[in-house]
Amino acid sequence: MPPLLGIEFLCKVADVISEYLGGITEDLIKDNFVIVYQLLDEMMDNGFPLTTEINTLKDMIAPPNIVSRMLSVVTGGSSNMNTVLPIATTSNWPWRSTDVKYSNNEVYFDLVEEMDVIVNRDGFLIKYEVYGEIRVIARLSGVPELTMTFANPSIINDVSFHPCVQFRPWETHQQLTFVPPDGEFKLMSYRVKKLKNTPIYVKPQFSSTGGLCRVSILVGIRNDPGKQIDYTTLEFPLPSSVASWDLTANHGNISSSPGSKTLTWTIGKMPKDKSPCLSGTMHLEKGMDHLEEFPTLLVKFKIMGIAMSGLRIDRTDVRNVTYSPHKGFRAVSKAANYEIRT
Amino acid sequence: MPPPPPHRPTSTSTPSGKGELAELKTQLRQLAGSRAPGVEDLKRELYKKVISYMTIGIDVSPLFSEMVMCSATSDVVLKKMCYLYVGNYARVHPDLALLTINFLQKDCQDEYPMIRGLALRSLCSLRVQNLVEYLVGPLRSGLKDTHGIKDFSEWAQCLVLEMVAKYVPEDPNETFDIMNLLEDRLQHANSAVVLATIKVFLNLTMSMADVHQQVYERIKAPLMTLVSSGSPEQSYAVLCHLHLLVMRAPVLFSSDYKHFYCRYSDPSYIKKLKLEMLTAVANENNTYEIVTELSEYAANVDVAIARESIRAVGKIALQQYDVNAIVDRLLQFLEMEKDYVTAETLVLVKDLLRKYPQWSQDCIAVVGNVSSKHVQEPKAKAALLWMLGEYALEMPDAPYVLEGFVESWAEEESPEVRLELLTAVAKCFFRRAPETQKILGAALAAALSDAHQDVHDRGLLYYRLLQHGVETAERVINPPKQAVSVFADTQSSEIKDRIFDEFNTLAVVYQQPSYMFLDKEHRGAFEFSDDTSTNASVTESSETMLASQSVDANDNDLLLSASEKEDTRGNLVSNGSSSYVAPSNSLIDGLGSFTVPPAASSLPTASFAIDDLLGLSLSTNSPESTLAQPSLVLNAKPALNPGAFQQKWRQLPVASTEDYGLSSQAAANLTGPQPLLKHMQTHLIHCIASGGQAPNFKFFFFAQKSNASTGLGYFLVECIINVTARKCTVNYKTDESDLLESFAAVFKSAILNFGV
Repeated sequence: MPPLLGIEFLCKVADVISEYLGGITEDLIKDNFVIVYQLLDEMMDNGFPLTTEINTLKDMIAPPNIVSRMLSVVTGGSSNMNTVLPIATTSNWPWRSTDVKYSNNEVYFDLVEEMDVIVNRDGFLIKYEVYGEIRVIARLSGVPELTMTFANPSIINDVSFHPCVQFRPWETHQQLTFVPPDGEFKLMSYRVKKLKNTPIYVKPQFSSTGGLCRVSILVGIRNDPGKQIDYTTLEFPLPSSVASWDLTANHGNISSSPGSKTLTWTIGKMPKDKSPCLSGTMHLEKGMDHLEEFPTLLVKFKIMGIAMSGLRIDRTDVRNVTYSPHKGFRAVSKAANYEIRT
Repeated sequence: MPPPPPHRPTSTSTPSGKGELAELKTQLRQLAGSRAPGVEDLKRELYKKVISYMTIGIDVSPLFSEMVMCSATSDVVLKKMCYLYVGNYARVHPDLALLTINFLQKDCQDEYPMIRGLALRSLCSLRVQNLVEYLVGPLRSGLKDTHGIKDFSEWAQCLVLEMVAKYVPEDPNETFDIMNLLEDRLQHANSAVVLATIKVFLNLTMSMADVHQQVYERIKAPLMTLVSSGSPEQSYAVLCHLHLLVMRAPVLFSSDYKHFYCRYSDPSYIKKLKLEMLTAVANENNTYEIVTELSEYAANVDVAIARESIRAVGKIALQQYDVNAIVDRLLQFLEMEKDYVTAETLVLVKDLLRKYPQWSQDCIAVVGNVSSKHVQEPKAKAALLWMLGEYALEMPDAPYVLEGFVESWAEEESPEVRLELLTAVAKCFFRRAPETQKILGAALAAALSDAHQDVHDRGLLYYRLLQHGVETAERVINPPKQAVSVFADTQSSEIKDRIFDEFNTLAVVYQQPSYMFLDKEHRGAFEFSDDTSTNASVTESSETMLASQSVDANDNDLLLSASEKEDTRGNLVSNGSSSYVAPSNSLIDGLGSFTVPPAASSLPTASFAIDDLLGLSLSTNSPESTLAQPSLVLNAKPALNPGAFQQKWRQLPVASTEDYGLSSQAAANLTGPQPLLKHMQTHLIHCIASGGQAPNFKFFFFAQKSNASTGLGYFLVECIINVTARKCTVNYKTDESDLLESFAAVFKSAILNFGV
């Protein structure tokens, strides 16, 4: 049994159920047992995964809503199963039904990038990668064919695509060609490695002697991305030998959840005119002279409106339809695994 | 969906059931030819009834022909129910199944693709052997079907790819065609598809070394992308596969080492895999960076990972030529003054010295500064002792440190440490006799009165060797050593190949070939020949079963193999001692395995009075002579898992084979393995595996003497019983050979008492 077949399928089941029920909890499953059962029946056939495309499933099994519940109460009626087999199951685009109709045709592209950064004890950047995804929300009538090109596709290190993307156009001229599923989906994911310039710097200093540890952590903008660095926080797991601490910040506030030995320094919007600084002392437990464990700081922030990898969408076209849809683009970069070792 | 089943007994022959069946039969017949409107709904009701009877166990197979007759319909629901019915009875009634072939074949050409698909599936799942020939045609046309089957869903792709992986292309061109066709699958969002494709690529190019290597290059990026995306479960499963590939061809991944850096937030199981990969890919170009990275983990909050990291540094040192920088790092670890860091480092420094004796000066200087009070773990103590013995000349205070250890001999719990201490003192003695003489005497005395068999035996061996002459003893105990060039791998390459063959299965995630974790299901049924006296096949099957555990044997701790080798050497001497003669005031009463000729001291007189030298008088230091004849008390709750059992079974020779005759009551009681298991358990003899059917049974039993050290004092028994012949053949194996007779007596009386 291929392990990933099982894991992927379970992830799909979880996705589909949460899409249907708006979440996946024990109570929700109990309340909607019939639907869950029907879904599983369609998704797994004779021991093999069968129909897992959310759009196709929605054609077969109506998601629960107030009307259908009322109806079943009033009529005592039984089934929310569609008696006709959806066309999509046998069409060329199994992820899309052919009779999609919208009065306002629109398509949105979201570039979401997550930064994976490790800065070592000596302050050197030893790893900086971006893992990115393009998420699409398509509300388009008919069977539109979309193409998308990038201004700088060569920076991409590795890609993986939604099944709707045709491989050849990408192979020959790095163009994404696809008939999108209806609604929200992940068009592609990619990885860009060996990046150099992190947007911020973090300079931690710990000097401990005689049971005291002096702390100073300086945070600032290194390479201005041109957009606001926001939602900045710094997580500081206290070493186990720390008995008490007395730390203050000249910007933002410090909090610690009771019970856990992690301090969270919330900076928020990164100021451009000064460098936030956290400083003070930590008292070590009795008998400890100096710090033996070195904490790893985790930095989180978000930058709206920019993809840190530098990837840029050049143009997108919608063909095979008579209307010209509204197109929207957004980008956001997040620090996902941004760790500073001390 | 089916209506609630009627409350009736599920027997197949209730009279009311018969009446009902007849009624259903007539109704179905009436509907079969009818084309009246609404007839489909009536059919559905009837079908539902039939199916619900079927599911509660009523035999509705008499309706078979009527059901088939009624299935001439375009209603998908009816078809589906009919196929369910047919599939259920075809296996049990192959004659009836033949009836369905015709209509299933016809349905395979139905205008609705859904029905075509369903019919083909039902046809394929009839599982009646002589009907297979009817399958070929519909399957072939199914493959050419223009509808729906053209594009496989991502799940179906996984299955197809799995089949492609088994295909052997006719020539390289075909291989390349297949790979070109499938290359885009590596970019699929579904990791199951990607992994299945990788398997195809790896399998296809197995015999083309160059291309195989290119495949590695090609699949690297997609695998690493999958590791960094997706859920932790996905990440881990993919990482296990990446790990397997890295271990097979570390060179190809040596520039990607940064991918294996551990994140603070990674769970330990992922960190562990990453550490192993970092170790594997280290080469001249990246060692410095990798070791720097690993050193950062040594201060990790997660102690287990900190330990692993230090071990990883050591392993890298052992596989490199230029270890200069690494030695410095290791020695810095000792300065961290954390007990577990010191412990791990000492073990590593010891191994390093075995491979690179030229580093002894630097290492010994630092090791000499380690206070033995900070060394608590047995492994680390043993390593420190080894260095004290080996480098006694370089460490001025070696004898005095050893003296401290000998003085606290009684408090030392680990026999491993006591063994190492004895050897270290002996080695120190050969180098610095005047200072060590007294300590050696004390150590030998302590060893001879040691309760642990191995320690005692080694003490005895050393003692006698020294009696022979110090030079002889030195030749055996401390011969000139050659530096170790390669340390044995923990997992045999055969096992690794087996796992690789099972790429994209759980074998990779478990890091074990499937037969090792699937064994249990098969363990119950041994194959027996009719006659138990022809044991060949039985032995063979157990051999294969045991061979499956061979990995464990290789998995011993390599790090102590120096002392173990000395051990083996010691054992060789003592085991090969058929001509061995003990001194007249035999120390070895009670050591049944030695042959002790009565009172004949043909021992050549030692060239000098060794007794005096050692300050050890035999008469006062031979506690064995006071030992009583061995008596056997069995442990009431011995612990031995099947894996350990198999390993022991393979390692130990058959100590004795006995045939016992069983009483007729015993034979009568032995209808299955269970009664005997319970019976033997009351005699503290436990069963680990049993199998067979009357009249032949086979059991594996084990027992352990009480107060035995962990992992020792076991008696293993293979017991083959033929009930008809009332004969019982028993093979004993044990690591406690002096108590075997007592145990055999216990076992015999236990088994002969069965049924009495």
